[in-house]
Amino acid sequence: MSRLIVVACGAGINTSTIAEDTIKARVQKEGLSDVEVKRILMADIDGYLARPDLVMVVSMMKIFRTFKVPVFQGMPFLIGTKDEQEVLLQKILDVLRKGT
Amino acid sequence: MLAFNESLVALNLDAPDARTVIDVLAGKLHGQGLVVADYGEQTYQREIDHPTGLPTKPFCIAFPHADAKGVTESGLALATLARPVIFKNMGDPDEELPVLLVLMLANRDPAEQVQTLRNLALLFSKPEKLVALRDQPTAEAAATCLRDELDLDHDAETRGGVSERRAS
Repeated sequence: MSRLIVVACGAGINTSTIAEDTIKARVQKEGLSDVEVKRILMADIDGYLARPDLVMVVSMMKIFRTFKVPVFQGMPFLIGTKDEQEVLLQKILDVLRKGT
Repeated sequence: MLAFNESLVALNLDAPDARTVIDVLAGKLHGQGLVVADYGEQTYQREIDHPTGLPTKPFCIAFPHADAKGVTESGLALATLARPVIFKNMGDPDEELPVLLVLMLANRDPAEQVQTLRNLALLFSKPEKLVALRDQPTAEAAATCLRDELDLDHDAETRGGVSERRAS
């Protein structure tokens, strides 16, 4: 079964696309071919939380609840320096490697 | 294709609040036939539910947008603000940010604009570039500066100046 990362933002259009693009590129580079990265509307997140293949949520917005999977704040992908983005990408990759 | 030219720039805009900034920029996008007439209203409602202020350095910016429904053709509008206008922080809606630069990206299809979005994120992380953009003396100069930063003329055979070749 493939593993799903959802990237959530308010409109599901501009902000999450930036984060999705950055994570996708890195996941591909690392050869993690079983990982799917999908951008979604935060309003639609409940439908994804029930999925057994969900391994991570990256949110561009503050989250006021807890999930059964790790959650990361994706703001560095939008405004962070290369170094700040690398720190976050490493955290994401750590979660993915633990799960293999 | 992303429409952007000096007609879509509000330079040194003196606005009392976020609503005014959003309406001015939406009006410019509508004036070019890129978005529906109530795109400003849509965007403002979206801004209340999901704010787009960003704590960039050395000053904060905002990145308001609504979803693709109101967009006929993707376009970008820029405002540099004469005085700070409060937007809420996207990462923490309880926090108010004094914003000095606003970029409204009316995006019909994000897949179409991935490279532009990448370049926007690069711009957001570079203080000296944000300062340079804000310091441009004319709308034309600001449009050229932003076109360069976002590499909007990448596909063009020749630099077409500030006018969009929308017919192509």
